[in-house]
Amino acid sequence: MMAYELHLLTNYLIVGALLFGIGLIGFLSRRNMIVMFLSAEMMLQGVSISLVAWGRYFNDLDGQILVIFIITVAACEAALALALILMLFQRRGNLDIALWHDLRESNQPPYVDRELPETPPYASGPWPSLTPAGRRPDLPREETDYRSHV
Amino acid sequence: MNSPQAIFVAATLLGAVAMWLLLPRGQARGRPLGILLGTIGVGLLASQVPRIGRWGEDSVFLILAAVTVIAAAATVTLRNPLYSAIWFGLSLLGTAGLFLLQGAAFLAVATVIVYAGAILVTFLFLLMLANSQGGAYYDRVAWEASLSAFAGTVIVGILSMTTIDVLADPSDRLVAAAATEAELATGVLSDYPIALLGGELFGRHLIAVEVAGTLLLAALVGAAAIVAQSRSNRPAGVSDPGDSPPSAMTENQAKAEQR
Repeated sequence: MMAYELHLLTNYLIVGALLFGIGLIGFLSRRNMIVMFLSAEMMLQGVSISLVAWGRYFNDLDGQILVIFIITVAACEAALALALILMLFQRRGNLDIALWHDLRESNQPPYVDRELPETPPYASGPWPSLTPAGRRPDLPREETDYRSHV
Repeated sequence: MNSPQAIFVAATLLGAVAMWLLLPRGQARGRPLGILLGTIGVGLLASQVPRIGRWGEDSVFLILAAVTVIAAAATVTLRNPLYSAIWFGLSLLGTAGLFLLQGAAFLAVATVIVYAGAILVTFLFLLMLANSQGGAYYDRVAWEASLSAFAGTVIVGILSMTTIDVLADPSDRLVAAAATEAELATGVLSDYPIALLGGELFGRHLIAVEVAGTLLLAALVGAAAIVAQSRSNRPAGVSDPGDSPPSAMTENQAKAEQR
């Protein structure tokens, strides 16, 4: 009986650690701001799994209550992160976090993109587009340059 | 060489190489090899984890854990951010299943409800903002893929090695604190887990609930303020198209950019 509960705890803690590590790798290495946001959420999920496992081991509901608060804080974080992403996108017209590398420390060298072969389009074709409806809005020319064709 | 430490080191290194191969590096070569190495690495790690001991629970747990971890790895490594969002949703469903197995019924439902909305919003943002033709530069190249893959897998290796090491030989205090089946039946695994959870949440943790509500309100106001501020920074002509010709608006915006 004892070994059963311990083994259960071990298994769930390992899954939590794996989720946390994968989310960490994504947050550190991806450059798309929205994918970075998803990775941060994934790290929270890993911690939540560990908390629920400990809560079951000690038969204590506080583990689950802490996860409820994690979900609350994650919702706040999502609202702020998406607002920030929207604002940054309006400034530079791109989701690339590397465009903001002038926020780096003064003694760091700038990041330089290396040359890549020509962009291969998605094999499945472009994303679906919505049927136009109503009057076409007048957009400033700069905005039409980077707007995606949705 | 058969010691557990050597196996953990091997699993960590395999995982690091696999994540490096899977992350976008400007070319698509080496992904099958990455999947193979990653599977071997996770398999080595799983071989060190003690099985739960009841085959039914074992198999359900293993399937859910595999779905969660594979979907998580796909979220992080796929180039198309729309696919990332979909795989993240699958990973969340796996997490909800794991919660349910642990007796956290309310959390399982709450995760699905809250994050289904989050995924939907993320999806809309991607359709609105990302490059729909595909192959944006920033989706095809990762920052320092080797370093971040190494850092992440080393953290997982150390965490899992210490966890398995400590829990294989637990202290008497830890063993004494474990819940018995009779205790669980009136606690976490009782017939009315949500009622117990609600009683606890609005009893002992009432002030924390109030603080969480305040935090939500503050985040709402903050998000609105950020968006409103970025709107007011733009020239007046943009918010009211049709008043002035496009060229004038472009000049206005150029002035705003210079400021």
